[in-house]
Amino acid sequence: MQETLNLILVIIGQIMVAIGLLCDIIAAILMIRFPNFYVRLHALTIGSIGGAVVPMIGAGLIALGSPFLGDHRWYLAGGAFVAAFFTFILGGAGTHAISRAAYRSKTVVLDPCYVDHLAEDKGEKTC
Amino acid sequence: MVIDIESWISSFLMFSITIYITSFSLYLVRIIKGPTLPDMVIAIDALGYDLAAFFIVLSVLFRSPILIICAIVLTLWIYALDIYVAKYLEHKELGD
Repeated sequence: MQETLNLILVIIGQIMVAIGLLCDIIAAILMIRFPNFYVRLHALTIGSIGGAVVPMIGAGLIALGSPFLGDHRWYLAGGAFVAAFFTFILGGAGTHAISRAAYRSKTVVLDPCYVDHLAEDKGEKTC
Repeated sequence: MVIDIESWISSFLMFSITIYITSFSLYLVRIIKGPTLPDMVIAIDALGYDLAAFFIVLSVLFRSPILIICAIVLTLWIYALDIYVAKYLEHKELGD
C-alpha cells in the first residue's frame, strides 16, 4: 500500500517536472525570438509560472514519495511548496510592476506597434 | 515487479539538469544582449525563478535540504529587484 502510494506520488511529480522542463525551454527560446519588451512579458510568464511553479510542486511530490531521503523529505517538500507559493504570488505582482513602470517612463520602444489602447484612452499619440 | 525508485529518480533528475543548463544559457544571451534596462530585468526574473526551481531539483538529487532555503530567499530577492527597478524607472512613489 505504502509502496503504491509512493510510486503514484513519484510519477505525478515526474510528469510535473517534465511539463516544467518543456515550458522552461519554450520560454528561453521565446525570450530570444520575441521582438519587443511587451511581448517578452509573455515569455516571462511562461517561464515563471509554467517553468518554476509547476516543477517546484513536482519536486515536492517526488520528495514526498521518496523513502530513501529519510526524514529530510518532509522538510524538502514543505520548503518546495512554500517556494512555489511565493513564486505564484510574487511573479505576477513583480511582472505587473515592471511593465507599468516601463510603460509610464517610456523607456522601451514599441516596435513593431499595431495598437495601443492605453494611449488612445489617455488621448496621446498612438503608434 | 520491483522498481528501483532511487536510481530512477536520480537518472530523471540528472537528465533534467541538461535542459535547465540549456535554458539558462539562452536567458543569458538575452541578459547580455537586451537593448534596454527592462528587457534585461525581465530576463533576470525568468533566470532567477528557474534557478530557484533548479535548486529544489538539486536538493532532491543531492539529498540535502539546505538548498531549499536558498530557493525561498532567491524568489523573494527577485521580487525585490522588480520593485527596485520599477521605482527607479518611475522616479516617484509607487501605488498612486
